[in-house]
Amino acid sequence: MFHHTPLRYAALVLLASGALFQAFTAQYFGLEILTEILILAMLVLALDMVAGFGGMVSLCHGALMGVGAYGYAVLSTTAGLTPPVAMAAAVGITAGISWVIGAICSRSHGIYFIMATLAFGQMAYSYVFEAPIFGGDDGLGGIERLDLSAVGIDLNDTRTFALFCLVALAAIYGLAVMVLRSGLGRSFSGVMHNEQRMRALGLTVWRVKADVFGLSGMIAGFAGVLAAQHIMYISPGLMAWTVSGEALVVVILGGLGTLVGPLVGAAVFVVLKHELSSLTTYWHLIVGVILIGVVMSRANGIFGFIEDYFAARSKAAVATPKATEVTKDA
Amino acid sequence: MLETRNLDKSFGAVHVTRDVSLKLERGERRVILGPNGAGKTTLFNQLVGELTPDRGTVHLAGEDVTALPVAKRARQGLSRSYQKNTLFDGLTVEENLGLAAAIHTGNATTFWSDSLGKAEVREIVKDVANQVDLMPFLHAKVSQISYGVRRQLEVGVALATRPLVLLMDEPTSGVGPEMAKGFHDLLNNLPRDLTLLIIEHDMDLAFDVADTITVLNYGEVVFDGLPDAARGSDLLKEIYLGSWEDA
Ligand SMILES: Nc1ncnc2c1ncn2[C@@H]1O[C@H](COP(=O)(O)OP(=O)(O)OP(=O)(O)O)[C@@H](O)[C@H]1O
Ligand SMILES: [Mg+2]
Repeated sequence: MFHHTPLRYAALVLLASGALFQAFTAQYFGLEILTEILILAMLVLALDMVAGFGGMVSLCHGALMGVGAYGYAVLSTTAGLTPPVAMAAAVGITAGISWVIGAICSRSHGIYFIMATLAFGQMAYSYVFEAPIFGGDDGLGGIERLDLSAVGIDLNDTRTFALFCLVALAAIYGLAVMVLRSGLGRSFSGVMHNEQRMRALGLTVWRVKADVFGLSGMIAGFAGVLAAQHIMYISPGLMAWTVSGEALVVVILGGLGTLVGPLVGAAVFVVLKHELSSLTTYWHLIVGVILIGVVMSRANGIFGFIEDYFAARSKAAVATPKATEVTKDA
Repeated sequence: MLETRNLDKSFGAVHVTRDVSLKLERGERRVILGPNGAGKTTLFNQLVGELTPDRGTVHLAGEDVTALPVAKRARQGLSRSYQKNTLFDGLTVEENLGLAAAIHTGNATTFWSDSLGKAEVREIVKDVANQVDLMPFLHAKVSQISYGVRRQLEVGVALATRPLVLLMDEPTSGVGPEMAKGFHDLLNNLPRDLTLLIIEHDMDLAFDVADTITVLNYGEVVFDGLPDAARGSDLLKEIYLGSWEDA
């Protein structure tokens, strides 16, 4: 079950300050990296919601992000809808598709669930790849960003767009916390702990899973919309299953089921990727070694490691006064 | 309140429920006795819908619920505890009870509002914690409480849905005789209008709470009547004497 702890609040404040500092001081390339981190952070938040709190390890979240991206691209260019309407529709469509996938997959568990979601993701990928309306192999270009000039905000400015994504991420984090702390979110955690008992108590389990999966997909779809607006061009590569795999890596690297951890994971992953790829073309190898190290360390990712460290320290701090008492007596 | 008619179930060649017909009135406290493997748990599984009978029907409050899924029957007032603890292990006692109470109060599926913090949920949690003596353990995790207390929680979780009919599968299994006796005092203090069906291994304890007794042997009802009649029954002695001592 999700709880905020002082450490989690502290991590959020640190992350937000770092992002704000970067947003106001960085140059073009730094801002691009920041935006990349923020959009990935939304995707991994969505994934952690279902994988970390309900045991639904999805391998189609990349594809769901792609549905949001393609939905927005087609609706705003080919269909000629205005950006706000196209955004809302794309997010709504992704939520609906996710709900259906969640409902269908709700009865399978473990490896079977993973395979079922992978199959859905691959179906979406190959459809987009083949269908002329989605531009096939060539992808779609000419995607416009949301126009907020009416309130004096120009999202075509790189810095402004990065700030916009930061605000969006904050809102989405709030939404994820609200869902996880709600009756639905608590029941969802209950199902992860003991599905049979929740059912015996009267819960319609598939419905709860589908609802949370739908909300999570909605967030992934929103991340896709922002990704499309960010690059202004999209290709089927966005929907490849490796995107889902990478998102899962980030969640595990950061700390499954902590919500804050995946944010840390997203920052570490993107920075690592850019730093290492400028040094060597074999950067994937190094990221792989780091991931293996994290998994083998038995800590729950980077953030889990930090939580363990502080828990151990506060235990030690409780023990210390006793020691001084003894010395005083002596 | 709860009734089965000609319930029948086989696992392959093993005939585990043979033409079982039972009838519980509202507020009745019935104990099911029977040696190991008599089919007591299997009968419970069919009553709540976790198993589908090959033949026969289950009626709850006058309605045929044989075709209803587990969750629907539960929402109509049928609740059960398990022989082997089936709890939310990583969570606290309070959260365990709260998840159940949230379902009963209709707070378990709203994504815009909290469940465990709701006044109506907290009230049920407090009431149930008092009923099964869990007050001192509310904030402890399941992993931090003793086996005996977990058995209490197992029943508490089932009670937190405020059922009409509560099925308890050997609530005192694995706990010492003293604690088992205390447990039966708890059961005796439950509201009188709650219909109870209890599987119990210990005959003396069974007589402690039972209004009526049903004895199952090889999946068949071999006795159905008042405790006094059961006490004097030769048939019961015959079935039990062997397995009784080593139980
Ligand atoms: N799913 C199953 N598949 C096959 N056989 C089963 C299954 N479940 C139970 N049985 C068999 O059915 C018989 C009755 O089992 P059940 O668990 O109902 O007995 P019980 O009366 O509850 O016994 P105990 O007092 O040991 O709990 C046993 O022989 C058991 O091995
Ligand atoms: Mg049994």
